[in-house]
Amino acid sequence: MRRTLLRDPIFMIGFVIFVSLLLLSIGNTVFRDGQVDQFLNRYSDEGRLIGIPPLEPSKDQWLGTDRAGNDLFQMMIEGFKWTVGICATVALGRIAIGLLIGIPLAFRGGRVNRLFKMVLDGFLILPISLLAMMMLFSSLSFADSTMVPPLVDRVTLQLTVFVLLGLPAVTLYLITEIRQLLQQEFMIVAETLGGSVWHRVRRHLWPHLVPTMVIVFMQQFVQTLMLLIHLSLFGVFFGGTIYLFEGVMPTLFEWSSMFGYYFKQFTATTWMTSHMFLVPAIGLSMLVFLSNLLTSRLERAFRLRRQEAVVTEETISQAEAAAASLADPFTLVHADGKLQQNSKPS
Amino acid sequence: MNWIAQKSAQFFITIFVLIAISALPSLVVQLEFVPSNYWNGIQQQFSQLAKLDEITYYNVTAQRELPLLPDLAPLMKETVIIFMTSLVVSVGFALLYAYFFYRSGKRVRTVLQQTSQTLEMIPDLFWLIFSQFLAITIYKKTGFDRIEVAGGFAEYIRFLPIVTLTLTILFFFLKWLTKHILEEEVSLFLELARAKGVQPAALFWRHLLPNLVYRFYLFFRSNLITVLSSLLIIEYLFNVQGIFRFAVYNPVMPILLVILLVVYIPIFILDLVAEWLIPNAWKGGI
Repeated sequence: MRRTLLRDPIFMIGFVIFVSLLLLSIGNTVFRDGQVDQFLNRYSDEGRLIGIPPLEPSKDQWLGTDRAGNDLFQMMIEGFKWTVGICATVALGRIAIGLLIGIPLAFRGGRVNRLFKMVLDGFLILPISLLAMMMLFSSLSFADSTMVPPLVDRVTLQLTVFVLLGLPAVTLYLITEIRQLLQQEFMIVAETLGGSVWHRVRRHLWPHLVPTMVIVFMQQFVQTLMLLIHLSLFGVFFGGTIYLFEGVMPTLFEWSSMFGYYFKQFTATTWMTSHMFLVPAIGLSMLVFLSNLLTSRLERAFRLRRQEAVVTEETISQAEAAAASLADPFTLVHADGKLQQNSKPS
Repeated sequence: MNWIAQKSAQFFITIFVLIAISALPSLVVQLEFVPSNYWNGIQQQFSQLAKLDEITYYNVTAQRELPLLPDLAPLMKETVIIFMTSLVVSVGFALLYAYFFYRSGKRVRTVLQQTSQTLEMIPDLFWLIFSQFLAITIYKKTGFDRIEVAGGFAEYIRFLPIVTLTLTILFFFLKWLTKHILEEEVSLFLELARAKGVQPAALFWRHLLPNLVYRFYLFFRSNLITVLSSLLIIEYLFNVQGIFRFAVYNPVMPILLVILLVVYIPIFILDLVAEWLIPNAWKGGI
């Protein structure tokens, strides 16, 4: 598994990009105290004013600056860890709680599960972003930057809401997966031999659940990212929205908030030609693409691993044939791992 | 009889759950979870259910409160038009693709699979921005201005939303179909049919596809939320006068309840019809 991934150039490239961005982002906080440079006006060598914010991308500011003069490249770097951190936390939270609810329920009978499914069915038709927007809007919009409550409170509320809203779908999915595993032969054998529930979960279920959970994690990661983007387009930025006289403002440099923020600024004017809008938009698209790419490579690696372990019908029939045609009942069927096919009755 | 009882029980339970969901916005008050407020919200929604016709919304153009239900019909029409058109178009394309995939050789299959896999990873947001960008670029270059990039008050915008939603749904379907065709292809009944001399086209349309219909429906049904999420953001960004955009602009609990009911009841009926109409043999029974 690990070897398959290490030898997979596409996975490695994606992974290296991901990790280096994360390291850069954390490094910016550790070494530069999360600072983002501001460039107000640009002057030529003779001291002539040649540009006012927003500055176009140039050699000095790789991705240009926004209206307040913030360097977009540094903002993107600074915001990366927030975006990734939020999505990862939410995905992990959903899976952890989903397992806590799902494993005990999956061991119950079919009727309980049908009822559970019926109750949660209502959650599967409404776009989460709409509901999240309605739940968070009034709590997270502030009229004044002096009245913003501490960051911990806002982030906790938002993460809780995100985790809870996605939980029904994840739990239902995990229950279906676990119930399918429980019907496998090895699980029935483990039960017949008297393995306790805890033993069966730990020794037999868990190893088979890990691949599923990795894939679910990546899917939830992307889903949370899309949720963040939708919310920021609706005007609910992560960490809260400040309503200023001239418009809205996010409180954190975070990719999806930047996207929504610049989108709002530019819908009225020629927003398509603006680098300010395109930088976070392309960045987010790349991030989603990258996560999907990693997911598909992981899926492939898991599939290859399963193929290695699989016992084909051919080998079974060969073994049976070999066992049926033994010359001497005490001849080994498997001699150093290979099947003895040539041992004909003499 | 048993079936009817079961289905109606399911219907009422889900309606109750939907009411509980629609009251969720009252759970959060000033950064805190307040259960008592949520309980009040549920009661309020229940009493609202008895007088749905009294729900009003603030109409910006008319500058006053108007009753909701009569004004909901044109909004629903827009949403349904966009949703159904993209669904039909993408199912059609997906079937054609599937047939082409089934009939093509190994090398073409690899190319097709890799292309669709790569395209599938691109988020719907990108299609959205890209299609608007393309429309504007075409306009700038050639002066062709028949493609609308955003709807207005009395203008309908359909082409680009349909294209975007179709693309989103299509790649979704392609992945599933490819996977299941590869799985089914080696099954014994196809082997038998092929041995009996059934033509490849008939093999696909008569033997392989019917086996996939019900499972395809279940797949679509369980992923409906993703499609509706896409539809929501498409309506919002293209300014389509549909119900989801309406809900974003009128974020109050009674309207949310109505929208939930309006979305759920057709899906419930569709479920019933699908279960009733699709023959047992197609569901894997005998």
